[in-house]
Amino acid sequence: MLGSLDAIIGPLYFWAFSLVAVCCALGVLTTRHPLHGAVCLIGVLLAMAGLYALLGSPYVAVLQVLVYAGAIMVLMVFVLMVLNQARDDHTPRFDLLSIAGLLLPLGVASVSVNVLAGANALHGPAQGGALEGSVANLAPRLFDTTAAGPGYYLLFELIGVLLLVAIVAAVLLAKRSLAGEPSVTKTEDAAHGH
Amino acid sequence: MLDWVIANLPLIVAIALPIAIPLVLFHLLPLLVLMERRGAGVIQDRSGPHRAAVNLQLKSIPGIFNDAVPGLRLRAFGMIYNVTDLVKGLSKEFFIPPFAYPGWYVIAPAIPVMVGVLTPAVIPWFGDMATSVGTIHGTIFPTANGLLLLFALSSLSVYGVVLGAWSSNSKYSLLGGVRSSAMMISYEVSMGLAVLGLLLIYGSFSLQDAVTWQSTHTWGVFVQPIGFLLFLISLFAETCRNPFDVTEGESEIVGGYHTEYNGIRFMLYMTAEYLHIAVGSVLIATLFLGGYQLLPVPGWDTDWLREHLGKVALALSIVTALLLFGFVKLILGRRTHNAAGHATDREVRVREYGIYAAAFSGLAIGTLALGGLAAATLWHNPVPAAGAFWSPVVLTVTALIQFHIIIAKALVFSWLFVWVRWTLPRFRYDQIMDLGWKVLLNVALVNLLITAVVAKLIKEAW
Repeated sequence: MLGSLDAIIGPLYFWAFSLVAVCCALGVLTTRHPLHGAVCLIGVLLAMAGLYALLGSPYVAVLQVLVYAGAIMVLMVFVLMVLNQARDDHTPRFDLLSIAGLLLPLGVASVSVNVLAGANALHGPAQGGALEGSVANLAPRLFDTTAAGPGYYLLFELIGVLLLVAIVAAVLLAKRSLAGEPSVTKTEDAAHGH
Repeated sequence: MLDWVIANLPLIVAIALPIAIPLVLFHLLPLLVLMERRGAGVIQDRSGPHRAAVNLQLKSIPGIFNDAVPGLRLRAFGMIYNVTDLVKGLSKEFFIPPFAYPGWYVIAPAIPVMVGVLTPAVIPWFGDMATSVGTIHGTIFPTANGLLLLFALSSLSVYGVVLGAWSSNSKYSLLGGVRSSAMMISYEVSMGLAVLGLLLIYGSFSLQDAVTWQSTHTWGVFVQPIGFLLFLISLFAETCRNPFDVTEGESEIVGGYHTEYNGIRFMLYMTAEYLHIAVGSVLIATLFLGGYQLLPVPGWDTDWLREHLGKVALALSIVTALLLFGFVKLILGRRTHNAAGHATDREVRVREYGIYAAAFSGLAIGTLALGGLAAATLWHNPVPAAGAFWSPVVLTVTALIQFHIIIAKALVFSWLFVWVRWTLPRFRYDQIMDLGWKVLLNVALVNLLITAVVAKLIKEAW
């Protein structure tokens, strides 16, 4: 009984999430207010999380919400609020450059639609027998440190180092005083003192 | 009909539970508000809420009521204030400030409430029940990623505050919103790291597995005491209550993010705050205090409870009845105090407290009777043989007892929230940031490191 229900509800959810994702993506492109754009982007991310869950990867879906919608976008919104950006009515929505920029995503989209249509891949959610993208399935493969293993853990460690480098760079940029401007430190300290 | 119900029981419970659990949580809210007001009164040595009352004019009953002692007044310990608050909130004009952004302004208060209603879905309210028609889950959404999902959802609740603050389009609101988004981000980090140590030990993201591990070993608070403290502090910060209520900070920024809110939308923010307290308390009880397990004794798991159901029910009913009788003694003390006083409404007060004492004595006796009934019928239930199942009565009573256990633990933590709020002063914003990034984060990292090493060394022993 529940199996047949899945076959009906699965495509419904797929189209709903897809519609939300596409509409929000258009909103990101067309809105004139940065905060509206940020909220639209959150909508895209949440809808993508739903699609991941439909594809049988609940772990990726949850991480998408947790990391992107719940942490990164909160930071973005925080920055937008600190800067308190108002509506931007001056920049034109489209110019020659943006039309040229449209070509690349359109090309990618046409190729992927062609491939997907040819593969007849729209069968709805993952069917029985497919490996669920759970932690229990993912972790042993990701951290398989044996010599015969795929070695994903090396990439994992490298990404960690990359993130560390990014953080160090951000700290360096934020602390100009390290580059030899002691006067900045002094004023900053005075400003932060109260 | 009955056959159909029995055959589809897992499905029926799976549909009924998502309705029942939010209902129970929403019924806890008036209790939490009452707890807050009475607690504030007790801690600050005030009498607390004591004016709003329901007046019943019952002069028509001869021999009981007469003109000398007019009617009956029930204040229900301040519970009437919840009714007046709700009526006030609902009957106010749906006012949107002319300078606000109307769309986001209307939507924003709903977001934290939505999160508060969704998050209980991953919490196990009672042990899974194996029956002949299939397993009945005690979790609304039994998933292997339960805790991650809970964190993911609760990380979205900050948008309610931020969008509300921004769409109010006022300086104070914006300041509150900026503060809250910075604080929530900071404390989410230490909250996640505090729980990671526990996850290493449980070896699963599923909260059901967490409770199962605790019932076979010991409670999480004993294996991760530092993690427990870190989690508790972070939880206080996440709910934006004292001493972390810089987002409201009424002495600095009027009302913070909800300065421009009124009526029912303001009440939605308040509802969300108390919902988050309730859900946070349940979460901490689940993660660190054994969830629905009775006492931290290894082996006292769900099967043990089912086997000794009658004894446990009797013991719990006796404890509950004793607590209720203690409460009755307090009420009678107030009654004596009022009877000795010289208030003009002395007779009404004495009668009021008499009714409370009678009601709670009746409740205590009823609890004892229920416990006695359970003990008489379910004293010993041997574990069914392989292939057989527990009787439905045993399963139902077990689920009810487990549900009450977890709610009782959560209420203890809710009281802690109230206690801390009315005891500690508000931290300054820079103090909060220092505590989050310079203290909690580092302690959490060291705790995680030590836990990882120890867990790796002795994991084989479990």
